[in-house]
Amino acid sequence: MAVVEVDNLRYRYPRQTTLALDGISFTAEAGEFIGIVGPNLSGKSTLCHALIGLVPHFYKGAIGGRVVVAGLDVHATPVAEMSRRVGLVFQNPFTQITGAKLTVYEEVAFGLEYTGVPREEMVPRIEEALRLLGLWELRDRSPFALSGGQMQRLAIASVLAMKPQVLVLDEPTSQLDPSGTREVFEAVAALCRQGITVIMAEHKIELLAEHADRLLVLHQGRLVADGTPRDVLSRAVRGELENEPAPAPPVTEAAAALGWTMPEGGFPVTLDEAVAVGRAVMAGDSGADSR
Amino acid sequence: MSTVIEARNVHFHYTPGVPVLTDVTLSIGPGATAIIGQNGAGKSTFVRLLNGLLKPVSGTILVNGVDTRTQTVASLARTVGLVFQNPSDQLFKSRVIDEVMFGPLNLGFSRDEAEARAREALAQVGLQGVETRNPYDLGLAERKLVTIASVLAMGTSVIILDEPTIAQDHAGVRRLGAIVDELAAAGRTVITITHDMNFVARHFRRVVVFGQGRVLADGDAASVFSRPDILHQTGLEAPQITRLAQALALGETPLTVEQFVDLVRRRLSGSA
Amino acid sequence: MRVSLYVPADTWLHRLDPMTKLLMAAAGVALTFVLARIESGAVLWAIFFTVLGTGRVLRQAGSVFAGVGIIAATFLIVQGLVHPTNATPLIILGPVVFYKEGLLIGLRLALRLYNILSATLVLVLATNPADLTEALVRRGAPARLGYVIMSVLQIIPTMVAQSAAIADAQRSRGMETEGSLWVRVKAFLPLMGPLVTSSLIATEERALALEVRGFGSSARPTFLKPEVRPPHAGLVRIMCVLTLAAGVAGRLLLGW
Ligand SMILES: Nc1ncnc2c1ncn2[C@@H]1O[C@H](COP(=O)(O)OP(=O)(O)OP(=O)(O)O)[C@@H](O)[C@H]1O
Ligand SMILES: Nc1ncnc2c1ncn2[C@@H]1O[C@H](COP(=O)(O)OP(=O)(O)O)[C@@H](O)[C@H]1O
Ligand SMILES: [Mg+2]
Ligand SMILES: [Mg+2]
Repeated sequence: MAVVEVDNLRYRYPRQTTLALDGISFTAEAGEFIGIVGPNLSGKSTLCHALIGLVPHFYKGAIGGRVVVAGLDVHATPVAEMSRRVGLVFQNPFTQITGAKLTVYEEVAFGLEYTGVPREEMVPRIEEALRLLGLWELRDRSPFALSGGQMQRLAIASVLAMKPQVLVLDEPTSQLDPSGTREVFEAVAALCRQGITVIMAEHKIELLAEHADRLLVLHQGRLVADGTPRDVLSRAVRGELENEPAPAPPVTEAAAALGWTMPEGGFPVTLDEAVAVGRAVMAGDSGADSR
Repeated sequence: MSTVIEARNVHFHYTPGVPVLTDVTLSIGPGATAIIGQNGAGKSTFVRLLNGLLKPVSGTILVNGVDTRTQTVASLARTVGLVFQNPSDQLFKSRVIDEVMFGPLNLGFSRDEAEARAREALAQVGLQGVETRNPYDLGLAERKLVTIASVLAMGTSVIILDEPTIAQDHAGVRRLGAIVDELAAAGRTVITITHDMNFVARHFRRVVVFGQGRVLADGDAASVFSRPDILHQTGLEAPQITRLAQALALGETPLTVEQFVDLVRRRLSGSA
Repeated sequence: MRVSLYVPADTWLHRLDPMTKLLMAAAGVALTFVLARIESGAVLWAIFFTVLGTGRVLRQAGSVFAGVGIIAATFLIVQGLVHPTNATPLIILGPVVFYKEGLLIGLRLALRLYNILSATLVLVLATNPADLTEALVRRGAPARLGYVIMSVLQIIPTMVAQSAAIADAQRSRGMETEGSLWVRVKAFLPLMGPLVTSSLIATEERALALEVRGFGSSARPTFLKPEVRPPHAGLVRIMCVLTLAAGVAGRLLLGW
């Protein structure tokens, strides 16, 4: 059964003339990892906010269509209630700190306290989230005495600890170092295997290609592609998506330039796939056209 | 190479007992220099020392030979322009155009000149038609571009960009890359902190790796990216295309897709 | 950036539970209004001084007291000059005459101001705002009310942090903010507008951050830290009640 159901969602911010979201429809199953890609202003953040109800409850404006997440009709449910089942990591980590707590450790506890998680359960969950994001050593620091990347890690840890049924992340790794980014993607993929549904807007296409089950491509508020990374990125690299809303990973671009294709069709989209295809070509025992 | 910025045995901490920078010695001259390294390595702290907002606990920072301790931040700003990592730390005017004109006005340009410079800088970063908007009504990506434009408009000889590609899409990153190239070609000193290794590989001649408050490596991009030991130790990785070449044992270190494709074609025709 | 005026430390005052400190503050404020004489106001202030001093927050309190000094001085000057009961000239500075009656009234007002301030500072400086909010929410106060209290406690520190950030942004782009007093005043004025705006934005963003973390949801909150009431809290509570009672009795019977 679909955990996220978005049906013909249309939304306009107050005092705007154009639609920020224009007829978006998709569903997501339990345990699915969906990547949202698209250029700036295409509506990624707006869509993320619509999944927890900040759009329209907080931003107001005009909305149409239906959004059901984790069994709750988002348009009829207050954000605070939604947040018990849906976690949102904002694009800007600096604005995500509650300011209500004095230490990193307590900051992570905040969401657990207000969603009523029993105390015995809180402690292990907080520790797990902090260790996962590499913040355990910093647990007694003030949340404001952190570097940008550390603050972003804290924002993610605070939401992961809440163990939401649906996890929405808006460019969560924009300020993380490469290994931090990889760890976040791996952690999120592990959550999917436990049945959590993940929706992540990201520009880091290489990592989405590796971990996401599906990619949604937005352009000017419209959903212009929805499919597996292989399918979407192969189309993107062939220039089949209008206005080039999505870049392809470097290995896919290289493969396309060299005509390296996967045996089952389409171009390699991850490093491992490209290595496999490349090794075969370089060894000279493949039918791939190397021009 | 002439030296514009020089750090000599710089030590720094925010809280005594928790060192953030340890004995950093580095000189940087004109051209594009990237600073990379783990979260919390001390990169942003280092650049705040360069524009005088922070002063070393011990050691010295010289900008064009002058100790930053002897100058106010405002007077250093004539030489060093710094774009902060967090746009909210930098934006304080209620209209984009005023924000971008603020620096040039302080440098003594007339209103007309300042406005012309501001419009030019906004166009350079690809922001048009937002002049009268409030920066806080813009998305994070555009806000970041406003902060970059406000420093570009000042025309300082040293430009420091702290994670300029945050939240930028593909086209935005390309445009920023072009700006870096252009500034470097014009002989300006461009120092950029970033976690985007493709961006580093494409646009920076020199790469400095920070780790736990020290300089761990310093060299051209190809040499840094062919040191897996350093990269691993500091949580970094080479650009994806470089890693592909390494996995295929192609023997060279291509940094861009074009270089990789070219290399493969040479190898294939060589072996054919 | 700090977003709290709270000064962490480990003193008897810090170890007290927030409700006891709330009681202390409330008793203090009540007493300020109960007590009429200048001497009794001074005694009360002396008590607060001891409390703040042994709680090791006197230095921070001192800067607040100094900041409010202007208001206190205004009380003295205005009342000393123009209060209707003024009759006995006390200080004569050329054409300016300060009268004893007015000065005493001004002094009483100033003491009252300082006493209320001290009572609040016991809460603000020596109580973790999160703990205070938590203690109230535990007792069934709506989370929203907790939020309002928290925001109020954060207004000043947020403004301080924001103004430091803005000043850094301004000097990084060539505006002189260092140097003589005049330079700093000149730099401070244009800061006021942005300060209000950015504080409002920060508050709004914070509201969002709280909301998505379940703040204000219908779930019954649980708490990370168990509530501890230290052994000396009972004694302090009794002292507060006794002092208040003594104050009321003294006022009624002896005209304190
Ligand atoms: N205001 C502050 N007070 C105390 N410690 C701080 C403060 N700002 C940063 N730090 C600490 O100093 C260290 C270096 O921080 P800095 O911001 O320079 O890191 P960075 O290399 O820029 O990291 P990132 O890639 O995450 O932006 C970190 O351990 C951080 O927690
Ligand atoms: N708070 C807001 N008020 C008005 N318009 C907004 C607001 N936030 C976003 N928009 C507009 O909505 C559209 C989608 O923006 P956004 O969701 O932020 O895109 P993305 O996250 O893909 O960059 C853009 O046209 C943008 O200008
Ligand atoms: Mg966005
Ligand atoms: Mg930084």
